[in-house]
Amino acid sequence: MDAEMNAVIEARGLSRHYPGDGTPVRAVDSVDLVVERGEAVSVMGPSGCGKSTLLHLLGGLERPTAGELRLGGQRVDRLSETAWARLRRRNVGFVFQAFHLVDELTAVENVELPALLVGASRRTARRRAVALLERLGVADRAGHLPDRLSGGQRQRVALARALINEPLLVLADEPTGNLDSHATGEILKLFAELREAHQTLLLVTHDPRVAAVADRLLGMRDGSIVEDTRLDGGLSRQAVLAQIAGWEA
Amino acid sequence: MRLIARLAWRNLRARPGQAVLLLLALSVSTTTLSLALAINETGNGAWDRLHRATNGHHIRTSLAYQESLLPPQVQSHPPTPADVARAHDRLAALAAEPEVVAASGPWPILFTDGEIGGVHLELFVMVREAAPAAVGQPLVTSGRWLSDSGDGVVLEDGVAAILRDRPGDTITIAGRRLPVVGSATTVSFGRYPLHQPARVWVNAPTASALRAAGAVDFAAELELRLAHQENAAAFVAAHGSGPRLVTWQQTRVGVHETLTTFAIAFLIIATLLAWLTIATAAVLVAGRMAAQSHQVGTLKAVGVTPGQVTGVLLVEYLMLAGTAAVVGVVAGTLLSPLLAPAAVLYGPPQAPPITWTRAVVAFAVAAAVVVLATIRPALRGVRLSTVRALAATIRPPRRPSRLARLAGLAGLPLPAVLGVRTAMRRPGRTLGGAVGLALGIAMVVVGLGLYRGTRAYLATPILGEAESVDRRASESLIDLLLNIVFGSAAVLVALAVVNAFVLAVFAARDNARHHAILRTLGATPRQTVTAFVVAQLSACLLACLLGIPFGVLLYNTFVAGDDLGPIRLPALVYAVIATASLTLYAVAVTAPARLLATRPITPLLTYE
Repeated sequence: MDAEMNAVIEARGLSRHYPGDGTPVRAVDSVDLVVERGEAVSVMGPSGCGKSTLLHLLGGLERPTAGELRLGGQRVDRLSETAWARLRRRNVGFVFQAFHLVDELTAVENVELPALLVGASRRTARRRAVALLERLGVADRAGHLPDRLSGGQRQRVALARALINEPLLVLADEPTGNLDSHATGEILKLFAELREAHQTLLLVTHDPRVAAVADRLLGMRDGSIVEDTRLDGGLSRQAVLAQIAGWEA
Repeated sequence: MRLIARLAWRNLRARPGQAVLLLLALSVSTTTLSLALAINETGNGAWDRLHRATNGHHIRTSLAYQESLLPPQVQSHPPTPADVARAHDRLAALAAEPEVVAASGPWPILFTDGEIGGVHLELFVMVREAAPAAVGQPLVTSGRWLSDSGDGVVLEDGVAAILRDRPGDTITIAGRRLPVVGSATTVSFGRYPLHQPARVWVNAPTASALRAAGAVDFAAELELRLAHQENAAAFVAAHGSGPRLVTWQQTRVGVHETLTTFAIAFLIIATLLAWLTIATAAVLVAGRMAAQSHQVGTLKAVGVTPGQVTGVLLVEYLMLAGTAAVVGVVAGTLLSPLLAPAAVLYGPPQAPPITWTRAVVAFAVAAAVVVLATIRPALRGVRLSTVRALAATIRPPRRPSRLARLAGLAGLPLPAVLGVRTAMRRPGRTLGGAVGLALGIAMVVVGLGLYRGTRAYLATPILGEAESVDRRASESLIDLLLNIVFGSAAVLVALAVVNAFVLAVFAARDNARHHAILRTLGATPRQTVTAFVVAQLSACLLACLLGIPFGVLLYNTFVAGDDLGPIRLPALVYAVIATASLTLYAVAVTAPARLLATRPITPLLTYE
């Protein structure tokens, strides 16, 4: 009962099928998943296994073709586009591989955008955005447009944008996929800090270093979760890498 | 060259919608231009046919018996028999010149007043014989021509038409009641009521009776035919010291002054349409280049030169220009008899023959439009490095523009700030759309100004019956002109709205990814639609700011004159024009925006 009360994500039989030639493509197939508040979860698996689709379903960017989904206890799989938008702006923060910053807005304007969407005053939104940029070490780039930022800086701005409304859940899709090793290290440090701060996280990644940040590791294959391993029981990084190598094979 | 032509043809077939839109815009422009050029020819054609049918003059003159006196002054100072004889002698001497092969006259012209169809008016009474004149015998349009004896009046066709008098009716001239025996038309002078005083023909006995009743001899007229009509100007030049001579060409121009006004109106409209078409074509070409930069990159990568890339685009649009020229010349020619005001025509209008001049002018203008519209985006496309063209991404801005910052500082709602900033991303496109719509708005302002001005003119008190006839004639011409101006305004606005729609479709493509990003952050579909529409409306707002003053300038420059003063429209009308434009524009651009807002987010995030 306590576990259910604490669950941020509850998915039962969650599926996303696309029409294919003859038989439908099962991008996500009957996934059952519970993610508790403050839990950091990594999802790994080969390309095309459905991990990004799962993340999009959990964030309401795509609609399930079957199954049930609850976010913070609220049934969300049948919400309208507008209701999902309102829910998302308060409860879900996204971080994408391609950053997806608004090109016309400066770094600080990008960060304050979700705050303005939930109705914060301009002054409050700006104050919170500047504070977050300072916390993430890019305050000096606040007035620059995305085109003038490095990849690492852009991802930090994207992370700040995801966090500004203190969401229930942060969903990250290959957050280091476009970064060099130095920038990857910096972003991993930030995710580790988020985990320490008990921010609920779900990371989709190919990178074992990113996966190792989480408390729990999910393995996906052909649209289904085939492994569910807790990393907080002292499992070493090498063991994780070995396990992942086994999945990829 | 064959490769260029083949690629151009394939491109046209690949985008039939864009090709049709540009062809439509170009054709409207070339049609109006062709109409402007053909409408005078329509009038001239009718005049020429009557000129041939009546063995019309090459040279015409009317010599006042007392050259210093105007018609009303003659009534108190009638000419002496010596004055009359001297004038007739001078005209007879002209008729005897060796170049003259036939002459008609000198014919006396009396000045008096009368009442026709219940309207009191001044009259020129033209004295003629029953026998057909060798030159310029009026063509009977109803009833019969004069007889040698007995009273009877033949009315000039314009007089009969506007005063609704027919053979068998009775009119009063110089207080004498006379029967109308017919009506006739002639190329020698302009039609009543645009040309006054009204003219009637009588025979010599009736003229004598009218003189006895108070009509005075005013002038004598003479019409001559030369061996070669093209020598008319030389004949006039050679006889500069005598009575004032008018060539047949000068007569034709003089009687078609009103038609020339219509031709000028069409020319102005054609010019505006051509500019709007440049805006349309520029929008299409720019959109094409943005969407096709990848293809340009591929062409360049396989060795096609930048010149050949530009060539493909030029050939493609020149094909459309050629088609539009053909459509325009044919449509303009066929429309000209329908749009020429019947009141100034000498007989039923017919479409003039298609001339090389009109065809070449129409093609030249259409080609100039597409070259002007194509050159900048085409050159920009070919200047892109091959690698960048292959990447085919929209270049993100490097620094926020001042206007974009202002939008944030002005305290606008978030969707509006985003909208304005997005519009600033492509200032050329926004400006192009704005200029196109501004032309439509300007034409609406001209139309409404003309409507109000002419209604005010027609509402001024009428001093006499003759003036009421003028008004009636003016009213029909004004109505026709208003129809043309409002019709053109409708075409301009319609084209501008289609432009807006096309711009919105391209902008929707450009902004698809951004709006998807906004949706991941929690922006509702309504907010993204609002942001998009606001972005597009900034072009419309600019169009209102440009179009309304431009319309006022056009009106005050080309329309305002003695009868119509400077434009006088209440501020409310301008506010209504702006509001209506913004509403219409918003409706046109909402469809692509809604389409954008309801698509799934994930594919849009990776949309290029």
